[in-house]
Amino acid sequence: MSPSPAGEPPLGPHPAEPRRPDGEHEVRGHTFRDTGEGEPEATPPLSPVREPRRLTWQKLTFLPVTLLVVLLITWLWFRNAELDSISQNALADGNVWVRLRQHIELTVISTFFVLIIAIPLGILLTRKRLRPAAPFAMALANIGQATPAIGLLALLVIWMGIGKKAALVGMVIYAVLPVLSNTIAGLKANDPTLLEAARGIGMSPAGVLTKVELPLAVPLILAGVRTALVLNVGTATLATFGGGGGLGDLISTGITTQRMPVLVLGSILTVALALLVDWLASLAELLLRPRGLEVRS
Amino acid sequence: MNFWDYLSSRHEQLLADAFQHASAVFQCMVIATLLGVLIGVVTYRSEWAGNLATLTTSTILTVPSLALIGLLIPIVGLGVPPTVIALTLYGLLPIVRNAIVGLRGVDPSLVDAAKGIGMSRTARLFKVELPLAWPPILTGIRVSTQMLMGIAAIAAYASGPGLGNEIFRGIGSLGSKNALNQVLAGTLGIVVLALLFDAAYVLVGRLTISRGIRV
Repeated sequence: MSPSPAGEPPLGPHPAEPRRPDGEHEVRGHTFRDTGEGEPEATPPLSPVREPRRLTWQKLTFLPVTLLVVLLITWLWFRNAELDSISQNALADGNVWVRLRQHIELTVISTFFVLIIAIPLGILLTRKRLRPAAPFAMALANIGQATPAIGLLALLVIWMGIGKKAALVGMVIYAVLPVLSNTIAGLKANDPTLLEAARGIGMSPAGVLTKVELPLAVPLILAGVRTALVLNVGTATLATFGGGGGLGDLISTGITTQRMPVLVLGSILTVALALLVDWLASLAELLLRPRGLEVRS
Repeated sequence: MNFWDYLSSRHEQLLADAFQHASAVFQCMVIATLLGVLIGVVTYRSEWAGNLATLTTSTILTVPSLALIGLLIPIVGLGVPPTVIALTLYGLLPIVRNAIVGLRGVDPSLVDAAKGIGMSRTARLFKVELPLAWPPILTGIRVSTQMLMGIAAIAAYASGPGLGNEIFRGIGSLGSKNALNQVLAGTLGIVVLALLFDAAYVLVGRLTISRGIRV
């Protein structure tokens, strides 16, 4: 391998290059000789055998502990907060737990649907036969995504009536695009020569997809999944405007009645839930990323 | 009153709202992009700093917009200030995350090659790494902008500017004749704005994505 100096035109094989002794090469017109004359080029030392551990105990414990501390502080503060009758009404009968459970339900169900819609769709739209359709599908998805969550929800409520169903449909529509566009971007960003090589060694289209394309695109797809989860936890707070429940109920009650304890409790619970979900997704991201893609310095 | 009558009778108000909506989102996006790419560049090399940046920005995003705006009101008052602060903070996450993912995704051998032909650290960053990471960053900017369009609508709840006011007027009068018109006008207006922005980004992508990696 002769390092070709930048700026000099002939990069291809030099037509009449004289045969050089091993270990000698040319840099900018000067002949250099590797030390240790005639030695075969040393193979680069194998990277240290020990794989860096993906999961450190800090990563496993830091966030849950922080959340626990924050929740504990909130609880202590809340026990001593002055609650008037309006606040007490808003929090009576285990309302907080009901709202929290509703919120989790909304998030889990909508995320499930987002994933089973967006990822297969993203794969389909990057196949050769359907690729011409991709821009149209993206434009359509863009319109869906460009629709503000609150407006979408209001329209669905006017159309489907007040309730959980309208909220869920709105959440799914709202979160599909990030995952879809991440899947498509991830698959498109793959080095075409790798795909060419995979085809060249005789892999079937399905083999190329599952053994080369998808593993290479995993980080971007997982980033999309994570974004969807975070978005869904956030959008679920808007479900309250359509009568869908969730922790947004506490927040909007807190705002409309000007009761800070209710507002703060609702917000902190939502934040804690969102962080927990995000943390779980980040663990998945770490565990599912193909080893070959890890950047080592 | 059908939708078109509604539009023509209210078009001045709607146009003013639309302009305010667009200008608020645009200004916040400029700030968020500059900050986001800067944060990405500064932090992507170190696992620790990159994760910290991602965690911090995602923490901000996970705060539901209603709650963040509600918490900002006691500090900065009603109207434009909480809107601008909230929009900029929310706009950061996709940009920072995609910048870090993109910069880390650059083939290390390319960076090594750039080093090998004698490019300085700055030159490597601006001539190799950022151009290669630019498509995902631009995707982040697009996602961000669309998200901000929606969050700006929610900011209207705190007397923020923009088309969200129409939507909330509609929600406030659910069941009345004009509710659908109001929600539809606000929603479609935001969709149109978002699509215009998106078209602009496609153009920006054509002009700025390095020819070698254009698909």
